[in-house]
Amino acid sequence: MPPSERLPLEQVLEIVSALEAVVLRSFGPEGGQVLFTRDTGQAMLSRSGTCILSALHLEHPLARVVVESVWKHSRGTGDGSKTFILLLASLLRGISKATSRGPSASHAYGFTEAAKAAAAPYFANKLLELVSSDLDDLIAVNVVPYGFCVSLEDFTTHSGRLLLASFFHTRVSHVHCSYLSELTCEMLNRWKYKSDLPYISFQFLSDNFPALHTPVSGFPVSSSRLIEGQVIHRDFATPCLPSKQQPVKVVVFTDYMQPILLSTGDVLKLGYGGGVTPESSIVHFSAWTERSLESVIAELQSLGVSLLLSAVKQSDAAVALATQAHMSLVECVSEEELSLFVQLSGVTPVSRGCTIQLEHVAALSFCRPILLGGHRYVQVAFCESPKSSKVNPCSLVICGPGEGQTDQYICAIRDAVCMLMTTWEPKHTSETTASRGTLQSDKGTASLDMTPTFQSTANKPYGLKKCVFEPGCVIPAGGTFEFLLSRALPNPSSDTNGLPSVSQLLANALLSVPRQIYSHSPKLFLQAQTRIMSLVQNPSNPFSLGLKESTPGPMVDLGLESVTCKYQLILAVVQCATSVLRVDTVLHTRTALHTQSKKHTIFSRASTEDEAED
Amino acid sequence: MSRVEKKAPSVCTDLPLNNAEVCEKLHLMKELLKSCYGPRGRLKHVRNNIGGRVTTSSASSVILPALYSSQPLLNLIKTSVLNHISRFSDCGLFAGVFCLSLLEQARRHELRESLAIKVNKHCLSLCTSYLQRDDCACRVKIDFSSSQNLMTLAGSIISSKPACLLTEAEKLHISTMAVRAFLQTIPCSSPGPVTLGQTVTVTVRGLPVLDSAMFPGLLVETHDDFNQTDSSSELLRTVLFSTSLAGDLAELGDGTIEADPNLDTDLQILDQLLELGKQLVEDEVRLCVCQKVIHPVLQQYLRSHGVVVMERLGMALMEPLGTLAGTQPVATLHARIPSTAYGRVKNLSTKQFGFKTMLHLQADGEAAVCTAVLCHRNETMLDELKVVWRKTEDVLRLTLKEPSALLGGGCTETHLSAYVKHKGQQEASETAAGLRCSPAEFLLGVKVFCRSLDMVARSLEHDGGSSAMDLNHAHHWTVSANASEEDMAGGLGLCGCGLVENSSTEWTFLNTEYAEFCPAPLLGDSCRKPTVLDSFTAKVNALQVAVETANLALDVRYVIKDVN
Repeated sequence: MPPSERLPLEQVLEIVSALEAVVLRSFGPEGGQVLFTRDTGQAMLSRSGTCILSALHLEHPLARVVVESVWKHSRGTGDGSKTFILLLASLLRGISKATSRGPSASHAYGFTEAAKAAAAPYFANKLLELVSSDLDDLIAVNVVPYGFCVSLEDFTTHSGRLLLASFFHTRVSHVHCSYLSELTCEMLNRWKYKSDLPYISFQFLSDNFPALHTPVSGFPVSSSRLIEGQVIHRDFATPCLPSKQQPVKVVVFTDYMQPILLSTGDVLKLGYGGGVTPESSIVHFSAWTERSLESVIAELQSLGVSLLLSAVKQSDAAVALATQAHMSLVECVSEEELSLFVQLSGVTPVSRGCTIQLEHVAALSFCRPILLGGHRYVQVAFCESPKSSKVNPCSLVICGPGEGQTDQYICAIRDAVCMLMTTWEPKHTSETTASRGTLQSDKGTASLDMTPTFQSTANKPYGLKKCVFEPGCVIPAGGTFEFLLSRALPNPSSDTNGLPSVSQLLANALLSVPRQIYSHSPKLFLQAQTRIMSLVQNPSNPFSLGLKESTPGPMVDLGLESVTCKYQLILAVVQCATSVLRVDTVLHTRTALHTQSKKHTIFSRASTEDEAED
Repeated sequence: MSRVEKKAPSVCTDLPLNNAEVCEKLHLMKELLKSCYGPRGRLKHVRNNIGGRVTTSSASSVILPALYSSQPLLNLIKTSVLNHISRFSDCGLFAGVFCLSLLEQARRHELRESLAIKVNKHCLSLCTSYLQRDDCACRVKIDFSSSQNLMTLAGSIISSKPACLLTEAEKLHISTMAVRAFLQTIPCSSPGPVTLGQTVTVTVRGLPVLDSAMFPGLLVETHDDFNQTDSSSELLRTVLFSTSLAGDLAELGDGTIEADPNLDTDLQILDQLLELGKQLVEDEVRLCVCQKVIHPVLQQYLRSHGVVVMERLGMALMEPLGTLAGTQPVATLHARIPSTAYGRVKNLSTKQFGFKTMLHLQADGEAAVCTAVLCHRNETMLDELKVVWRKTEDVLRLTLKEPSALLGGGCTETHLSAYVKHKGQQEASETAAGLRCSPAEFLLGVKVFCRSLDMVARSLEHDGGSSAMDLNHAHHWTVSANASEEDMAGGLGLCGCGLVENSSTEWTFLNTEYAEFCPAPLLGDSCRKPTVLDSFTAKVNALQVAVETANLALDVRYVIKDVN
């Protein structure tokens, strides 16, 4: 029997509260940044909850499970990691309070401990039931009408910008929020596929983001900008610049231009039997590879190609021959950049041994060296072609005084795109989320029943469920969502045991979020609450406008936030709370080297399948 | 992995700027950077813990990388400054001192962090917009038709690094060289986009500084005995190889080759190389240069036919040599070398510098490649001279982007500080409402910003003297420690940048309160030229980077340090 450790509710609460204390420093509009240095000595700055939590190197398995579910949640939605911890902590606090107070009055003294232990999972199950059955309807009826839908055309207008600005307000230093949101809006506008759903272009941006940005340190943030076309993060291998001809013709190579005579394991036998003939000389083979390289170059020249992009490092001879043929060569282009280039230009890459034809040649409107920070890169812009005419490709250059800051801004913009993707998710989610869920649970070990549960929590919550809200549905920020939802939750007085109802628990937990937002001035909290409540009672007043008009000076509109993200956040929090509360013992096993040992240490007695397996 | 060590939990610091220990360290770093600043700055010895070579310097690009701190906040500031230096070369100490002063002053005046951030940002935008304005009184236009301002700019940079230990004449010599090198790399007669040429630097230890010289073309160090009689002024046909001519066939792949014992593959390859050599001789090539190694037999063959051979040139010199000879390197061994691959070099001769023998190659016609030979008496001073040379080169190039310079000697700082104070006072109520704070809080923030700017100007003085500012043009003056009241009334001579002479009788010391005033531009007084100038582009960026870094440090509420 491995050493075990009881895990009472108090301890769970203690762990989550410790996490909350760290995250609170950077929560809300008054929050600041967290600086951390990695074991490599590299400094990083962040206001992102996920980054902060994963930097902590937590010891306790429970804390790790919580952090992991935060991580999975924010990877899915890009938003809400700090609120996640905050909600979880106050939910657990509420449950702990309820269990310590409720049953002791009605039960005999000796049973309290056991009853308490049973009450927490009971609450957890009830909560899960509530949110999985009713939450979407509750939000649709009571919250959505007070928000409005932003169409993608609005991205040039106020509300789209506001949505992004309020997102950046929670993620980067205040002084740069507006600049970054302008930049992101501009980028989204340029990348907009005119005929398709906004979701498609967000998806594209999110998939190709690594190839679409360049961090530059040593400059102020205000030097960040968009530049036309794509930046290939390599320098020319040849000294000469591309010719002035228009358009620039380009060929993409995925392999060596000079054929490799002997790959690893091949054996070349020379001079056996035949005596010394010209064919048996080693020089003969080397000359052959050079001749075939020359023919490739000649072929390229006849097609008028002046730029070569290569995924690998070409031989010296290839570089020299290309230079003499007045072609520019860019070597070692990363796979991501090459695939983006292929998508945007619609060209077929040349692989080993195939002859170069017209379909391998793409046309560019220009190709020039560009100096970004200390590096010289290659900037390419695409000609108008049927495929790319829908968008106006551009790349993002992010400047900052140091690497830590540029990384932070890049992270924030990537997450912003992810958040928008969640917000504009079409009403029917695709099958991919479902299949991802099953794939993940396959990896879990069958012997321990909790593993699948954790993974389904940690994975995108309720992937199979259809997205219930109109794409692009937003609501004013600053606690509006929490006020409205907490008011809408059904409020039966108490159930038979004298325990408070779960919806009441959830409502209280929700209210802790605006309380934290206005923590510097409790008066503002009451003001905000009163204002929203009065607006609910007076439905003739269109809410979104009403807020802006009636807002007093110091807290002008705090921006907008996405309803879908909030909905998924609550689902994820309740899921996480449920799984955490069902655990009552930690088993410390001795297989420290095993990669999945972290998950194995969590063991549940409460589950019925477990008993069946035993 | 045979052993698994448990990871230690991270060390956390809450609100680092309120922590006395952290503040102590920040203060120490500020004092260190301050003491290096300016032409009279104190030098630092840098030596590593195992007793390696000692470097003497006062340049931030040398000192900062050598500093190691366990405090992440300090490292954050250090990296920001280093990143700035790597882009602009100049004004690193300025950025460091200004950033640390902003932090220290904000704490001393008990300014709220979030407010300090907003006000700093506002003051920064005041400064940058003022510096871009046409009527900006601390900016000087650089006129490329006269070398005066360029010389002043180069001279100020060279004299700001006292570790070079140069006399006035030597400073003048080096700055003239720098300006000449800069002008030579700008090609005169090419329309369209201009490609700047290159300056290659060669250092020679043990010769007097005044022996330093500029040469058009390239100087390449040779170790071989080069026959002086070979030198000629005619054109030499040149070929460049970028591949190895030593007989290794790397391009065949990773497979193994089994050869018959009777078969000598090395000989076959050598035959092929000699074949190539024969072609070179036939084509009347007189200079053969290889980036990598040339087979000794081939070398011997070429030499015996009167070809000058240079091998192991290295990657760095290939590009300038290609430009100089007007050709591209060859990397094929089997094909015939096309006649277009041959370049031309003029005037092959040898030059002797101390113990170094160098081959001097000159271009046929105009090619924007030149070589600077820097000489100094010993290695430490030579290292510093090299750092300064590179910095001067970069700063002069920056003037092409933005043909302006800023007044040096602390005058830009005091002028900006007076301007910001004046502007802040004027617009206090509107700006305060915009930043959602009270006017008094806003003015406190402005004061912190101005004090920090003044602090940079004050750092120029190291000999116990004090710094003063006139209340008319807001230029910076130094008052020596033993100056009396009468001396001050009698006038202080020239201001820091040398543009104003004792025009005002009203003074204020820089660490005292004074009533705000609008700094007056210098009118018509153009007979006097500034004697100290700073790079405009570098200083504006340094200003922005310093404020952004300070803002960032102010915004940090929590530090997590991984101690594994």
